[in-house]
Amino acid sequence: MKLRTTLAAAALVTGSLGAQAQYNSLWIPDTLSGTTFNLYMKDTFVQFLTGNQTITAGINGAFWGPTLIFQKGDTVHMNVHNNLNDSTTLHWHGMHLPAVMDGGPHQIIPPGTEWQPYWKVTNTASTFWYHPHLNMETEAQIASGLGGFIIVRDSEESALTLPRTYGVDDIPLVLTSRSFDASNAFTTFSPYGDYMLTNGTMNAKTSLPKQYVRFRILNAELERGYNLGFSDNRTFYIIGTDGGLVDAPVAVTRVKILPGERTEFAVSFAGDAEGDSLDLMAYNSGLEFGFPGSEPSTSGAFGSLLNNTNFKVLHIYVSAATSGAVSSLPTTLTTNTYLTAADATVSRTLKVTDGVPGEGIGFRFDSTDFIMDTINKYVQLNTVEKWSVTNSNVFGHSFHIHDIQFKIISRSSGTIPSYEDGWKDTYYLHVNETVSFVTRFNDYADPLHPFMYHCHMAPHEDGGLMGQFVVDSATTGVAKTTESAPDLTLYPNPAKGTVFVSTSMQAYYITITNAVGHTMLMLPRPNLMKGIDVRNFAPGTYYLTFTDDKTKQSYTRQFVKYADL
Amino acid sequence: MRTFKFIAPAALALLLSAYRPLPTEKAVSDFKLLATTGRMVSLADYPKAKGFMVVFTCNHCPFAKVYFNRLNDLSKKYGALGVPLLAISSSDTVNFEEDGYGKMKEKTAKEHLTFPYLYDGSQATAVDFGAKKTPHAFVVWKENGKLVVKYAGAIDDNGAEPEKVVHHYLAEAVDALLAGKAVDVPETKSVGCTLGIRAKK
Repeated sequence: MKLRTTLAAAALVTGSLGAQAQYNSLWIPDTLSGTTFNLYMKDTFVQFLTGNQTITAGINGAFWGPTLIFQKGDTVHMNVHNNLNDSTTLHWHGMHLPAVMDGGPHQIIPPGTEWQPYWKVTNTASTFWYHPHLNMETEAQIASGLGGFIIVRDSEESALTLPRTYGVDDIPLVLTSRSFDASNAFTTFSPYGDYMLTNGTMNAKTSLPKQYVRFRILNAELERGYNLGFSDNRTFYIIGTDGGLVDAPVAVTRVKILPGERTEFAVSFAGDAEGDSLDLMAYNSGLEFGFPGSEPSTSGAFGSLLNNTNFKVLHIYVSAATSGAVSSLPTTLTTNTYLTAADATVSRTLKVTDGVPGEGIGFRFDSTDFIMDTINKYVQLNTVEKWSVTNSNVFGHSFHIHDIQFKIISRSSGTIPSYEDGWKDTYYLHVNETVSFVTRFNDYADPLHPFMYHCHMAPHEDGGLMGQFVVDSATTGVAKTTESAPDLTLYPNPAKGTVFVSTSMQAYYITITNAVGHTMLMLPRPNLMKGIDVRNFAPGTYYLTFTDDKTKQSYTRQFVKYADL
Repeated sequence: MRTFKFIAPAALALLLSAYRPLPTEKAVSDFKLLATTGRMVSLADYPKAKGFMVVFTCNHCPFAKVYFNRLNDLSKKYGALGVPLLAISSSDTVNFEEDGYGKMKEKTAKEHLTFPYLYDGSQATAVDFGAKKTPHAFVVWKENGKLVVKYAGAIDDNGAEPEKVVHHYLAEAVDALLAGKAVDVPETKSVGCTLGIRAKK
């Protein structure tokens, strides 16, 4: 029963998985589109190895989740059902949205609860993703398989001659790796997995048409970076970074991508013969000190069979071209207007500190612990800021900031690689490097709910390499009030299908709990015109807590749900 | 190579596990729990039993769900040999409405469960046994008037594909005890959903 596992492990060690490998067909996540998205997070299991199944968690599935397709300009409504054993959050990585909808560590969804955030999609066409962000538990929850892609489309990108048929010539690839214990359960004793999982598929293979094919790559690793390239060193063309298209395709043979980052590239198989095969590879052998996964150890706390070695990410067979094949790439994709250092009126510095072996303190920003109720930075609305993040400690990091996309303006280690010369929300911060970026904070002021900045290596983030900021404005401060009897009435009461809220206040937040204190629904900034749907509630007594937008005061009212007759 | 903070918990866990007594060979207390039949059930109700298979499980967990058929089979086979099977749900019913007593009754009827399915609302029995997952199986044997744990862990080594099971841990433990032998593998890792114990008020 363990024979196959052992053989596979041995083959990985020698890097000769090649001819004798048993390839599995690459899984492509299903898509969901429209403006209402129903997501069910649940515990489940997957047959990864021979023998017992591996306990995983999935969203509408068994490992990983559906790809959400948004149109820029639409208002999207998310119905997030937490059917997991544990509390969780769901963060929309890279999306520009109100902090109360962000799904960061503060927007906790208890088990059995439905959370309904919504926002207007203002990001330009690119590849984003969603994943849990529960403080101290992010590594465990991402490791279990929770996450999914978001693809934003817009009219500008749609007008370009680019591969765009999902799963045919537009391939989403989420890269991660996992290790297993003796009972085939995932283990994160080392954050670097022994087995490559490409879209959750081990030893993945797929057929791709003899034409330009677009890859949307997401590094959803716990810690490992990838130095991607093709096995014949062919040139490929970066067309997009985290937050949008680059001005013109950038020819490369390698691209580095760290946890949380996305890259979009196009590669041509037009010159290949049908039936030819090649590999998308991680050329992770012999990389610089501090690159996550460059450690030489194959076992132990930071060990992995994939460390400091080159390994296959995807085995590709070339198949016949499709109708409507893209045969050449546009020379111009878009015209980005970036902010510069001269535009910034506020400059901030952040330093990665601590994490020195033997001193007993994990990585932190500016020698400060991450504390849930401490806001580290206050950003004024409508300011352009320059942030400079310095890493002078012992390891590389993957810096990510919520709310905004930014432009990297300098890397102290040298030039900015051309493949990251675009909108970014996450980047590789090398050892002994300062990276500066410029961004604008132009909306969604909220004095209560913060946004995060952190290292996207999950063990670092869980260990304290995280801080939080609020976007504030003179007009969004919490108003003091002495009002004691707010007008707040629920009707009809008892209710059968819908509860309406009558009030002159604006709702900042509504939560509904049942008689034993279990949270049923969490509604950030709900639109109350159509009432609140309680059809799925069991008959009984419920409590609705209403938080006023102006004063942030909360008021509770009781209502009764009748059984349908 | 990097920070001590991240290595320390792992090293500590290893240390602790080295000193942790095995869950087997410890005595557990009898319990009196409400069965889905409506009557109270305790182990003392089975004076002729040699021992028991006690399986902590629940309705909602996908990994627990795949084992109910197998529990029926185990109950039939070993019940006749003097080793009854009792299933206990200690799930947190505030978090999981699907694990409520009413839903347990529905499941018992719908799936023709042949063994007592008991509701441990206070979770005291799960705490006494040290049940960590659903499913989490125990074999307790009557020894000098005590109920001694002889096996703790998984039911077998393949949840979703019963035809591919190699080790029937629970059945093999009972077989050994019925033959008067020591249990070969007294402890395995139970695989399933974490059984959350609510904090005492």
